[in-house]
Amino acid sequence: MSETAERRDRRRLTSVVLGPGSVPDPTPLGARVTRGVVVSANTRMLCMAVPEGEERFLYDHDTTFWRGGEVGPGDLRPGDDAVVLRMAGGHPVAERVWAQAARATGVIVARDGDTLEVDPGHGRPRLTVVIPYRNSGRITVRHPRLEPGYVFDAVGVWREGAVWATRPATTQPPYPLRATPHRPPTHRYGGTLNGIATWYDPAWGRSTHLDPRAHLDAVAYPALDIVGHDPACDRRTPCAPLPLLSVGATLSLRNDCTKDSAVFPVVACAAADSWLCDLCPACGGQGAGRIASLTMTGFVALGGRLEDGCFNATVTVHDGEG
Amino acid sequence: MSSEIFAVVREVQLPLLAVLLLLGAVTKMSGRAADTGGLAVLVSERLRRPSAVATGLLEAALGVGLLVSNGLPGEAARALTAIVFAVSVVVLFLVRRRDPEAGCGCFGGLSRAPVGRRTLTRAGLLSAAALTTLGLEPAGWQVLASPTPSHAWVLGAELLILALLSPELRDMVTRSTHKEPCELREVPLNHTMRVLQRSEVWRTNEPVMIKPEPTDVWRKGCWRLLRYDGIRHGRRVDVVYAVRIGGRRDTAVRAVVVDRASGAVLASYGAVSQAELIGPPRKLPRPSVAARLHERRQDPDRAAQSLRAARGLSILGEPAERAPRGHDHGDPDERRPAPTG
Repeated sequence: MSETAERRDRRRLTSVVLGPGSVPDPTPLGARVTRGVVVSANTRMLCMAVPEGEERFLYDHDTTFWRGGEVGPGDLRPGDDAVVLRMAGGHPVAERVWAQAARATGVIVARDGDTLEVDPGHGRPRLTVVIPYRNSGRITVRHPRLEPGYVFDAVGVWREGAVWATRPATTQPPYPLRATPHRPPTHRYGGTLNGIATWYDPAWGRSTHLDPRAHLDAVAYPALDIVGHDPACDRRTPCAPLPLLSVGATLSLRNDCTKDSAVFPVVACAAADSWLCDLCPACGGQGAGRIASLTMTGFVALGGRLEDGCFNATVTVHDGEG
Repeated sequence: MSSEIFAVVREVQLPLLAVLLLLGAVTKMSGRAADTGGLAVLVSERLRRPSAVATGLLEAALGVGLLVSNGLPGEAARALTAIVFAVSVVVLFLVRRRDPEAGCGCFGGLSRAPVGRRTLTRAGLLSAAALTTLGLEPAGWQVLASPTPSHAWVLGAELLILALLSPELRDMVTRSTHKEPCELREVPLNHTMRVLQRSEVWRTNEPVMIKPEPTDVWRKGCWRLLRYDGIRHGRRVDVVYAVRIGGRRDTAVRAVVVDRASGAVLASYGAVSQAELIGPPRKLPRPSVAARLHERRQDPDRAAQSLRAARGLSILGEPAERAPRGHDHGDPDERRPAPTG
């Protein structure tokens, strides 16, 4: 049975046993976000290869571009992995374009000069992270210990198969991962939690016009139940008191900055997000701890900016009492 | 009198500080959790374990010194204890500034609560307590060997203050008395299986299932769900159980039998209605009281009037052929119930 069919079956059967309110259907997020590979780009138009064929986007005078930093339309290159947020209203006009966006979240396992090897956990392949000299000051201010055993989280761009870090996505905890303090005991759980939502790329920036994972609007969840999950999810107890769920469950997520909300299916384990207990500076949120890691397109569709790495969010997990 | 009490207070500090130091030494040197807070936050990864062990050894030496030494070595141990606690206040300040979530590490892995005012106050008070012992004649063991009721009272009061200032105690009590909410509780699969296999819902569906092992297991907050292959009246079905984490044994299991081809629900077990049930009255009155109440409410004229009206309607509405079937009732009014009382 394919993973997708398994997820759908779990949702259907949970709904039958515990009632339809326990597993709301995922919200279709519409077509405001498109991801694909740049075929050609000039100063007036972007042509992208997408699963349906080719799609063209015009630029407005407000259209902005990001490729490791704010760039112009001429800096997009054929072959770039691009995420396009359209203008509201359904017109094929780009509001913002991100090219080659990448993220490295995990624990540092090796260091060789300005190159790190980062383990994102959960059996995902290790990432090579390069910290270019021009960004090293910015990175080391918030990641003072670039040593094996310490957690790392930075946003950057894909270049020659490695993530070239451009800006830190969190402040590194001052202790190594194995010395992470335990969460204090929780007495009550109310069904709704504040925290921060982050993003990850399930397709690793490769063949995003063909890979269906690149177009998924879903979340990886940091409190996945270990039982029934294969391969094993090497998560820790996250600092936000999240209810235990499995792949196939759904949860409501609200962007506290834009007030946009949607129901997302849980598709993966967010092991690295369970290791971090941080705050997001966006719009002055106070909720500590990562509550969900959205896929790239889901994150943008819910109003996030990939270069920020996070937004303050409220998660609601519908209980099965009924 | 007050000078005597002050002398007792000073003496009590010796065994109390010694026990606290020895306890701190043992917890710091046992297990890896020891090097996660306190001084470990301020030193590099390489030095964490050695610093924890060194602090533990120093505390053990001071604890023994307070218990067994008097004279010059005893004075040195007491002065060093005061200095150690004073330095620990500074270290805790720095730890709190560096990482507000880190524990104080005072009792190794037990001290996981973030450094707060109480922890700082405790370290400061212990430093002051060590200072009061300077110049005392007896060693700690001598105080222990000749206890008086005053010593017991002072020790009790101090232990109470320490308990109030110790997040470790509160943490331990909370962990032992409060269970995590069922949504957050990690429960092994074999525990769920035990609850399931002891349930009546399981026994009812046992003949339907064709494999003893679930084909899929997943979690939804307080519920763990298990899917089994089954055959019912020759059709392939899925038997899906929902086992509530921490639920009562007799109501913790629900199940549905779902036709695999059509997805139709063939049977459902164990779900409890959410409708509010009408319960019995809280207390029924005694028969004599009930009779008196009934009489009080009885209105013979109104009863007779409603009876007449009812009979009139009944006679008017009855079909003609049914009328002779009744016995000779005579005048309906003659059947008026005699007023009671």
